[in-house]
Amino acid sequence: MHIMEGFLPHPWWELWFAVSIPVVLYGIYRLNRMSKTTPEAKPLLALMGAFIFVLSALKLPSVTGSCSHPTGAGLSAVVIGPAITSVLSLIVLIFQALLLAHGGLTTLGANVFSMGIAGPVVAYAIWAVAKRARIPSSIGIFLAASLGDLFTYVTTSAQLALFLPNPTFFEALIKFGTIFAVTQIPLAIGEGILAVILFDFLAKYKMELLSTLKVIRVPVTVPAKEGGK
Amino acid sequence: MTEGHLHEEIDRHAHTNPLSKSSPFTKLFFVLSALVICVSLPSPIVPLAVLSVSAVLILFMARIPISFFVKMLSYPTAMLGLSCIIIALFFGDGEALAEVPLPWFTWTIFKNGVTTGIATFIRVEGALSCLFFLVLTTPMTNIFVALRRIRIPAVLVEVSLLIYRYIFVFIEITEKMTTAQELRFGNSSWLTKIRSIGLISGNLFIRTMEQGERTLTAMNARGYDGTIRMLEDLPKPSKAALVATVLFDSILLLVSIYSKDLLVV
Repeated sequence: MHIMEGFLPHPWWELWFAVSIPVVLYGIYRLNRMSKTTPEAKPLLALMGAFIFVLSALKLPSVTGSCSHPTGAGLSAVVIGPAITSVLSLIVLIFQALLLAHGGLTTLGANVFSMGIAGPVVAYAIWAVAKRARIPSSIGIFLAASLGDLFTYVTTSAQLALFLPNPTFFEALIKFGTIFAVTQIPLAIGEGILAVILFDFLAKYKMELLSTLKVIRVPVTVPAKEGGK
Repeated sequence: MTEGHLHEEIDRHAHTNPLSKSSPFTKLFFVLSALVICVSLPSPIVPLAVLSVSAVLILFMARIPISFFVKMLSYPTAMLGLSCIIIALFFGDGEALAEVPLPWFTWTIFKNGVTTGIATFIRVEGALSCLFFLVLTTPMTNIFVALRRIRIPAVLVEVSLLIYRYIFVFIEITEKMTTAQELRFGNSSWLTKIRSIGLISGNLFIRTMEQGERTLTAMNARGYDGTIRMLEDLPKPSKAALVATVLFDSILLLVSIYSKDLLVV
């Protein structure tokens, strides 16, 4: 999904920066607040960042000026919210551009939008609906992570199709979408399964932290009354 | 882990090349301005100029071995080449360059598809080499210091530093666990391999997080208040380099005015 450095010409690279910057600024505001109210969440934040970094560096080449890989941003959106996930994605994408020469600086706006905003928002929405509908958390997480991942690729296809809208935007969208779908559908299912495993681990070992962040509700255990029957 | 090895090599070059001690501001200024010009102007001469200047800087100023530079450039170039061939052959509209009658439809190659493919190829090569100049000459820590100097919100730099540290914790722990599983025949059959991968991915997560919590506790015990203080002994940006960059950028702008119609998209 990382669009290569320099692949998007004027005006597309500026446009995606313009779309992403407000969301990232809001994310920084939320991040600032979270680091003041719950400083114990910082390791979790950094962990999510590193998780996104590692998963999205496992790339398969794709012939679209881009590549295919899991993103990890869906799980992050569920655990720490989509706004902060957009900031983490920005950091991760800068690291990948500078450490692995993967992605790029001028395509940062477009890549942050697809991996850090579009996918996570969808993942978070699915998770919220699943929680409201009392669907078991593992199914909710699976759907959120895998559909969020797929939506990231739909967004990338749309970004590429806007840049090369010929013969028409929709035909180009379908061309790019088909190329991505071959590798991305199995990857998205894999990412969904991984997210379920990791979420269970987190829920098991970091239950209090997750309930502070209002991700899960911990059943309140009432201490037995002294001198009761 | 080929990615890991490539990353180690990049990191080694970034720390040991003759330009690593020079100011990150001059390098960032050169790279960002050249990148913006490269992707914003339609002229094909501009990316070629950026490519050659970056290559000269990388090979002669930073003394990066040519084999390594070629190795870094070859993988993205191959992928880009394929992508651009696809763009050239399957995209475009308007004036047709060639029509190939196939049994089920007529495959038309469009003139503007081919020009878009070529223009994209040249533009990405220019931008990539420019990015590689920054990647190969500037250690990550210097970029952090530069970011802090330009008043990026402190919390952003802090989380970036933590993520940077965690990436290495992730890699270290994965290597340890893989070795341990190898030794206990964890990868002896297909089934045990799946089980091993599952164990690693779950435990890796918790291990890394606990390692991070311990680090944070240790930092808190030493009076950590949300700002990580770093020694900021950066050299002053060299005036000559800044002037040269401005000159180079203006030449690019001039050239692009005269050559903008070379590859009409």
